Amino acid sequence: MGSLIDLWPLNYTDSVVATGALLLGVAAGVLGTFAVLRGRSLVGDALAHAALPGVCVAFLVTGAKDPATLVAGAACAGIVGAFAMVGIERSTRIKPDTAIGVVLSVFFSLGIVLLTAIAAGDNANQAGLERYLFGQAAGLVEADVNLMAFLAAGSLGLVVAGFRPLKTTLFDPAYAGATGLPVRALELAMTGFLVVAVVIGLRTVGAILMVAMLVTPAVAARQFVARLALLLPLAGAVGAFVGVTGALLSSRAEVPTGPVIVLVGFTVVGLSILLAPGRGVAWRAGLLRRERRRALVDGVLLDLEIASHGGPPPTQAELALGSGRPERALRRGVRVLHARGWVKDEGGRLVLTAPGADAAHDLVARRDEWSAWLEHGWRLRLPDAREPDPRDVRGSLGSEAADRLAAFRAEAAA
Amino acid sequence: MTADDLTVIVTAGLVATACGLLGPFLVLRRQALMGDAVSHAVLPGIVATYLLLDTRAPLPVILGAGCFAVVCVLGIDALRATKLVAADAAIGLVFPALFALGVLGIQRYAAGVHLDLDSTIYGEIAFAPFRTWIFGPVEVAQSIVVNGLVALANLAFVYFVWKELKASSFDPEFSRTVRISPALLGRLLLGMVAVTAVTAFESVGAILVVTLLIVPAATAHLLTDRLVTLVGLTVAIGWICAGAGYGGALAADASIAGTMGLVAGVLFGGALFAAPKHGVLARARRRRVAQRTVAAPAPG
Repeated sequence: MGSLIDLWPLNYTDSVVATGALLLGVAAGVLGTFAVLRGRSLVGDALAHAALPGVCVAFLVTGAKDPATLVAGAACAGIVGAFAMVGIERSTRIKPDTAIGVVLSVFFSLGIVLLTAIAAGDNANQAGLERYLFGQAAGLVEADVNLMAFLAAGSLGLVVAGFRPLKTTLFDPAYAGATGLPVRALELAMTGFLVVAVVIGLRTVGAILMVAMLVTPAVAARQFVARLALLLPLAGAVGAFVGVTGALLSSRAEVPTGPVIVLVGFTVVGLSILLAPGRGVAWRAGLLRRERRRALVDGVLLDLEIASHGGPPPTQAELALGSGRPERALRRGVRVLHARGWVKDEGGRLVLTAPGADAAHDLVARRDEWSAWLEHGWRLRLPDAREPDPRDVRGSLGSEAADRLAAFRAEAAA
Repeated sequence: MTADDLTVIVTAGLVATACGLLGPFLVLRRQALMGDAVSHAVLPGIVATYLLLDTRAPLPVILGAGCFAVVCVLGIDALRATKLVAADAAIGLVFPALFALGVLGIQRYAAGVHLDLDSTIYGEIAFAPFRTWIFGPVEVAQSIVVNGLVALANLAFVYFVWKELKASSFDPEFSRTVRISPALLGRLLLGMVAVTAVTAFESVGAILVVTLLIVPAATAHLLTDRLVTLVGLTVAIGWICAGAGYGGALAADASIAGTMGLVAGVLFGGALFAAPKHGVLARARRRRVAQRTVAAPAPG
């Protein structure tokens, strides 16, 4: 592990913290993705809370704060919590969300009782157990990081080795079962991944906020990629970024690490939901605005073309009256046409220029092609079920098909 | 039992009553985790009120925290509405962020002064007897007055919209056809949960609020099929948790809130196995009887 710690351009303590946060981020990002995709994000919340009594019991039994023992305790408690949750859900009328809530609050209550009981005792070693509530990366030592690395490498290795069966079970459990995959075991493994991720992160992020570390990277990464093989590494990378940034910030500012990591992660998720290309909220809003504008400009151009046919070019007021468009929208459309040089102003009248007339004719031709497709498209007997682009039938179907459409149309008109 | 003991138990009992009136509906509507989220999300409101107005008087705190509860619910709804985030992931994104904000606020600006990180989790119910209001000749603990009022408000809420809550919890489709909007009632319910969470948070800490909202209701849900009984049982279980939890905490010298939660857990475990109709044992017995009937059909 020493080599990874030496890579950072930081002092030794910060390097250890950064390495720990990196491992945590990668592990939580990759392993949490499975839970998010299964729609069980909050199981991680329950497991994180459930791990707390495990830490306390491990401490009470051994009386020392050896990281491996505490981690083992947390893992055992997490597994018990997971089985309790599944058991409650399967064997009674209690719904999954209530089962999560029950396990979460009862295990955490037990943890609190044990914590206060330990604090009331006179074991001088006990200071620092409350770090497991909100996390404290600053106290990480190399032994902790080595353990985290071991766990992270093991679980990520399992993910890589079992990628295909895991993927099948994740997206289509019924099919996975039909092909003979051990679906129950694989689903259990995914829950086990959550336990491992929680155990890795408990010390750094804390029990209460660990769920964010599991959910954040997956949600952020999902905005950018849709393939599982890309999603997992990207979620790992996002997790690593969030973890390292948060851990370093918090150890500088001397505040608990968990909240800082969570807020950094929330910012990342917010930005990706807003800006993700093709999908993000801002992106879709921009697309909608451009589409609306294009429709408006096309419409105004056609109105103008039609109005110019029957007599002298119209004034803007006449055009507004004829097209029934709101004045403001019309003005905007005309302004764009002006800017493109498709329209010029002659004594208050709007006159189409030569390029403007060409554009209008092109538009009319395209609309004709689209209505020909709607009316006669079925007669083309295309080999595949393509639906052409309404704005460009010729481009999307090929000119041969477009010519035949034109022929059908002429035939119908005759 | 001294007067102070009684104060603590009554405070916890009133919190349990307030939570127990709402919890069954959260459980029935599968909104249990929204209750969890809202109870966490009020923390930054408490901190912000303290930082801005320098007060911990109940009314401003409730208003400030209520704002953040609304932010939490609306934030989760907005994330869901983008259709980019699954419903449960949205919960898992929003409430940790708000809670983290509160924790950092306490840590940076208010640590050790009047707010304490531990007390937001464990609560400081042991101090309930020390903060009192004097009404004429009687001296009453603030927590009893405040939580009592909230319990009354919840009782009024449940009483006046009983029919609507019932319809929309059990059959949202029917409820929509008779013009009772399940979404609106869900919002109202979460609003009441927020108010309850804020006041209870002050007296007993986050974890006990979540526990009392969910666990007694889940326990009662295993024991009965009637809504009235469900709500009544939930409140009764809450009071048992308060009394037994306090006794246990004194005996074991442990966190009062934690022990109350543990009692709730034990009761839930008992109901899980031994509930007359929906318990694990009863189910197993029914299955055995059914198997025997199939194995040896009635003659003829």
